[in-house]
Amino acid sequence: MRASDTELAMPASAAEAVEAFGDGRGVTVFAGGTILMPEITHGRYPTGGRTLMLTRAGLEGITGDGRIEIGAMTRLADVAASGVEPLASAAGDVADPEVRSQATLGGNLCAPPGAESPRGDLQAALLAAGASVRSAGAGGERTDSIDEFLGRAHSEARLVLAVELERPRRAAYLSLRRAHAHSYAVMAVACAELADGIRVAAAGVGPRAVRLAAVERALAGGAAAAQAAGAATDGVTPHDDALASAWYRSQVLPTLVTRALERLQGG
Amino acid sequence: MELTVNGVTRAISSPPLTSLLQVLREELDVLSPKAGCQQGGCGACTVLLDGEPRRGCLVPVAAAEGHEITTVEGLGTPGDLSPIQAAFHQKYAAQCGYCTAGMLMASHALINRNGGREVQREQVIEALSGHICRCTGYVKIVDAVIAASRGDVDVEKEQGLLVAEPSEPAVEPKGAPA
Amino acid sequence: MKAVGARLPRYDGLAHTTGRTVYVDDVRVAGTLVAKALRSPHHHAAITRIDTSKAEKLPGVRAVVTAADVPKNVYGHLEALGVPADEPLLADGEVRYRGQPVAAVAAEDVETAHEAVAAIEIEYEERPALFDIRKGLDPDAPSIHQWGPVYPHFGPYNHRRVRKGDVEWAFEKADVIVEGAYRPAAIEHCPLETQIALVVPEASGRLTVYTCTQAMYFSLGVIAAHLQVPLNRVKLIGGTVGGGFGGKVDTAAETITCLLALKAHRPVKWRWTREEEFLASSTRAPWHIEIQDAVSNDGWMLGRRMLTLHDAGAYARFSPYGLTKHGFHHTGAYTIPNVHFDGFVVFTNRVPTTAMRGFGVTSVSMAVELQMTRIAETLGLSPWELRLKNANRIGDTTANRVVMQDPSTVPVTLAAAERVGERLGPEYTAMTPARRSGELLPEHLAAQQAPEGAHVLSNGGRS
Repeated sequence: MRASDTELAMPASAAEAVEAFGDGRGVTVFAGGTILMPEITHGRYPTGGRTLMLTRAGLEGITGDGRIEIGAMTRLADVAASGVEPLASAAGDVADPEVRSQATLGGNLCAPPGAESPRGDLQAALLAAGASVRSAGAGGERTDSIDEFLGRAHSEARLVLAVELERPRRAAYLSLRRAHAHSYAVMAVACAELADGIRVAAAGVGPRAVRLAAVERALAGGAAAAQAAGAATDGVTPHDDALASAWYRSQVLPTLVTRALERLQGG
Repeated sequence: MELTVNGVTRAISSPPLTSLLQVLREELDVLSPKAGCQQGGCGACTVLLDGEPRRGCLVPVAAAEGHEITTVEGLGTPGDLSPIQAAFHQKYAAQCGYCTAGMLMASHALINRNGGREVQREQVIEALSGHICRCTGYVKIVDAVIAASRGDVDVEKEQGLLVAEPSEPAVEPKGAPA
Repeated sequence: MKAVGARLPRYDGLAHTTGRTVYVDDVRVAGTLVAKALRSPHHHAAITRIDTSKAEKLPGVRAVVTAADVPKNVYGHLEALGVPADEPLLADGEVRYRGQPVAAVAAEDVETAHEAVAAIEIEYEERPALFDIRKGLDPDAPSIHQWGPVYPHFGPYNHRRVRKGDVEWAFEKADVIVEGAYRPAAIEHCPLETQIALVVPEASGRLTVYTCTQAMYFSLGVIAAHLQVPLNRVKLIGGTVGGGFGGKVDTAAETITCLLALKAHRPVKWRWTREEEFLASSTRAPWHIEIQDAVSNDGWMLGRRMLTLHDAGAYARFSPYGLTKHGFHHTGAYTIPNVHFDGFVVFTNRVPTTAMRGFGVTSVSMAVELQMTRIAETLGLSPWELRLKNANRIGDTTANRVVMQDPSTVPVTLAAAERVGERLGPEYTAMTPARRSGELLPEHLAAQQAPEGAHVLSNGGRS
């Protein structure tokens, strides 16, 4: 329970970070710290393990033009300013300027589900954009699709190095927030038009963000936005938490999807 | 580790994952940042790291080493107020005062970033969107930041206002003799 | 009178803007220990076992307190006013809300304090909990309070009653009966400064208590009563509060911190976390308000029947007082000659509720004003004119038979109408708060009007 009990490593390069991470066993990866610091302050930090602080590992930066690579330690403020949609809108929607100046893309992607509210606002945007995740860990470095990465996130320890994506032709992002409240978004919908069609994903309807496959199929079949959004809750199991009830989420999700798709098609 | 706060570098002994807020308050006795929520939600602990506002409760002190940290104590004193402090005082932007230090630091950084131009209301609202005030309703705070950015504040005059002295009535008192 | 109307600087403005204001958390006393509480994880449960011995033996732990350490564990904030007490300082055998303090520790540092709380062995037997005040009076509602489902000490009644005039007559005579139900929710005060106390046991035997209380003398009495010491053994230093809004009248952190300081013989500071503040500090009460109004087609309010359920949470605290204020204001700023009000303080397994900015009155004002608009919509009348017609006038008597001396309803309503550009008929714009007469004094309002110069009418309403 003591933050002073953890063994701290502050690697000075990506290679050092990968080596220090090893197979990830017993390692807590400390990125921006916006989620972990309150855990330390309130005595809930993992005890006895190692902490890998990436602040000086040089993993930040956005490079490339057609195919874009965003380093894991890139701050959400920089993602928001990048113009790479729908990531930029999603990142700009997180918390407030000070938190965005500290929170990172990698940290947001790997955030475990919160007990009282959804987390990982960027997961839906990454799913919609069809991003890939380059990571290190047992078996070495590899690149997974975002779908695969999120699917295994609970069972496998990986150190995210970067996210890669093709800039979508068009993209849109829409979130539902409580008015005037500095809180996690209740739900968010991201959609993007890629070379092979439109991808749609939602956050805040389960422990991690999910593709809305039924909506995508309807769109591929020529359905209009509102009609396709009618399938928004197919295969989705919304949950109750401190922000909203499962019932509320399932009522509102189709509307949110409709509006996001209309924004995509209008822009 | 060493920490540079308001221009003074001091050795510290707190463990590296201790929050900057905790180190400032409990080890260095720099008391203007407040522990309002200790989870990044209120802004009462905001300080400047190399001139940029950061939540003291979310920054591990290990990540603050090597950076210049500024708190309200480094902005100005009662005899030597900075424009943003004078504006907050003159425009009644501080009520209970618990959020004030964080508001001041975020506002000071905004005005600096804006390069001497007058800040717009929307900019202030965005910059202070993570700062909670339960007393004022924010109007006076936003007004004060805009006034400070415009230079519309009499810093000299504010120095002597520790003792309340009646000034010109803002509204004609009811029933006052003509 | 040089200050009236003048624009004066805040006396504390310079200290606030230079970071020099000293709040409780900024007071530094050498050797201060850190306090943490063990709080109930259950909404309602029996405590079947508690063993603090392991916590006490941890290195760095200087004191552990439970109900057994409190000289007088059950003491009410209003006991001095004759309102009996129901709430233990530390839970004794039973917990009635999630977050209720069961034990507290004082340790050399916060991490040791966390460890000590975790080392307290405690077992619970969960009991059914109640959260909905509307179900509190059901025959099969879970039993959650030794006084039954409601606070029973309103004189001879188990509810606050207001009766005036002949409400049966009003409902027989009415053209229309307008009904409304209003349910304002609980609100956390959420001051930026959480509940906090720093207690220094002085060599003289006195306790110096640095406090964020909004109610210094209430808190002094509460602390001294729990500790069973004379008032002169306790010295409170307060007044600099980082926001309260009513949430700091309950003496939340002070007394338990005193117990720890006495047991440890060391200064102790207890600062609640934001999570504790949201989980366990008192809130504004949720309410359930039902109104039935007997009205005439031309917009006279003949009578009102009203039922209010006030959610006290798990213990009474100030709720009977808040409900009384609520009942006092149940006709709002309007003159209704025949009324029948019943208000119940209902217990639930929520955190105890308390004052917040217009204790008991904000809820009733919200309900009454929504109801006035609803009446106007039902009758097809202007909501402004309905309000002005029924507004309190000089000489009118309230439901509590107070004679109006200088009611402000008319000028305030007219000023509001002017601000929003509402055009009213000339008979309304010319209105003043003057005594009713002529068309504004129909027969049904005659009996409630006090004679000129009277301050209290002994028998108001329709006689």
